[in-house]
Amino acid sequence: MLILMLIQNSPLSLKLLTLSAGLVFLVSCDRTKPQSYTIPKEAQAPATPPVAPKTETAAPAAAPANMQILPGMAEAAQAAGALQFQTPVGWQKQAPSGIRKAELAYNGDNGSATITVTVFPGDVGGLLANVNRWRGQAGLSAITAAELPQVSSQRIISNHRSTYVRLPGETQSILGGLLPFHGKTWFFKMSGDTAAVLAQENALLQFLDSVLIEDPHH
Amino acid sequence: MSALLQIFGSLKLTVILLSASMVLIFFGTIDQVEYGIWHTQKLYFESFVVAWQYPAVWPAGDQLTWLRIPMFGGYTIGGLMLINLTVAYTRRFSLKAAKLGLYAIHLGLMLLIVSELLTDLLAQESQMTVPENGRANYSQTVRENELVLIDRSHPEHDRVHALPTHLLKPGRTLDIPDTSLRARVINFYPNAQLVRAPEAKSPANRGVAAKMGVTAIPKAPDYSEKAINTATAYIEILEGEASLGTWLLSNVLDERFPAQTVQANDRDFKIALRFQRHYYPFEIELLDFAHDKYPGTEIPFNFSSKIVTHHPDSAKNQQALIYMNHPLRYEGHTFYQASFSPDETATILQVVRNPGWLLPYVSVLLMGLGMSYQFGLHFRKYLKKRNTA
Repeated sequence: MLILMLIQNSPLSLKLLTLSAGLVFLVSCDRTKPQSYTIPKEAQAPATPPVAPKTETAAPAAAPANMQILPGMAEAAQAAGALQFQTPVGWQKQAPSGIRKAELAYNGDNGSATITVTVFPGDVGGLLANVNRWRGQAGLSAITAAELPQVSSQRIISNHRSTYVRLPGETQSILGGLLPFHGKTWFFKMSGDTAAVLAQENALLQFLDSVLIEDPHH
Repeated sequence: MSALLQIFGSLKLTVILLSASMVLIFFGTIDQVEYGIWHTQKLYFESFVVAWQYPAVWPAGDQLTWLRIPMFGGYTIGGLMLINLTVAYTRRFSLKAAKLGLYAIHLGLMLLIVSELLTDLLAQESQMTVPENGRANYSQTVRENELVLIDRSHPEHDRVHALPTHLLKPGRTLDIPDTSLRARVINFYPNAQLVRAPEAKSPANRGVAAKMGVTAIPKAPDYSEKAINTATAYIEILEGEASLGTWLLSNVLDERFPAQTVQANDRDFKIALRFQRHYYPFEIELLDFAHDKYPGTEIPFNFSSKIVTHHPDSAKNQQALIYMNHPLRYEGHTFYQASFSPDETATILQVVRNPGWLLPYVSVLLMGLGMSYQFGLHFRKYLKKRNTA
């Protein structure tokens, strides 16, 4: 009010002075405020990958829960050797996307499941951390190194020794192989509804046996 | 009052402000090496005062870091300059043909300062990722984060309740807009590392942290050009005075992790801390992404996105090819081709909204016309003098 009176009763220069001072004052106001808004129904898992500027940042070492998937990692995945495999009966091959080297989908009466193949540089935090990451995704509590043998066994994938893990959860389950391969770690993971995942274990094992990774080291 | 106007309209003040801006630009440039352009801009040019600190990496840095030089920030200098120009302009203004050019130049300069301020206040920049044959209706910025509670109970739409993270100060309790819930900030870290430490005592008793034994270790924020900070917070949700639990939220706990849910009395909310999103009333569909390389090399010479927009008003639907220097201007936003996903199946568009984008053009035009007029005037005088001599 005072400002309005000042503007009305003052010479032009004073009006402009007040206006420009007001403009400067505007700057100190907060720009983003709490808000509520309605959006079209979103799928539970949006198809869009997290946006990240193109970066050379290396993958954060260890800490699997902090496994930030940056384009640098995806490029490492692209740089990894080519993958050959046979699609098990009843499964559909999907187009590989983002950091996934391969993706297969299954839809049956007992639920749905997917097999994904990813590859990351290094050991991505080590076997225990990765198993516990998967356990968390299957709604299971973390285990200690001593308990590892209870959920894992050895298996050969693409002529290299890998660890095969079984993590049956209440509603969601994960079965899969973790393969250290010349400085990288390959993850072959089947996840989905428990009934479907457990029923498709043989299909997964056949898939793992058919996997052949391009190996310039031999 | 006239004494005050005289000070604000004086040429001395102009010279002082120009010198102060040179000092600011000098020290801002030095600090840009350490902080990157984004943070330097916030620190030096979008502030009222700033103190430069002797960098620890300089010679004798360990003994000289106490050395600080305070100076006026961009808002102070720009604001005073605008006042200075405005006052001087109006005090000395008189409609004379010989000075029209000068007035145009000054008016242009004032407009330029105002347009910078408007850009700073109103412009938004974010990135939209659109997968091939997929659609997107939002863009996001990795520099800013937001705490969101999403009500998915309605069959046709979701309701988002968002709090920008600059409000998340430890100890503060904030109303979550449009709900009966409140959020108490136990802790907020602009950058952190999440580690699995089941034995560590965590304030969180719900969600991923409680289930997987994940704990946040604060880290210094990284302001360099390409860095993405892992904004992380421990948030307790209250309904009335009753606590519904404490969650660990972080922008790395994204869609790859199971959604964290707050069970309130009447509804369930998905809770997350994520990169700040801007939703649009239209969708963009990527029809095709092309990435052309020079034959036999990996050097790109062109990448382009063929897109189509889907607007509720179908008359506004349009197809466009976005490529280098050929953005799409649509519904007050400009979509530039910025990047693409490494496997080339998704395009990344830079979305810029700047309502004041036209002002700099007008101001430069005004200044150009003013200069031409003034030079033309002098040139005519000179010609006249030569002809009479």
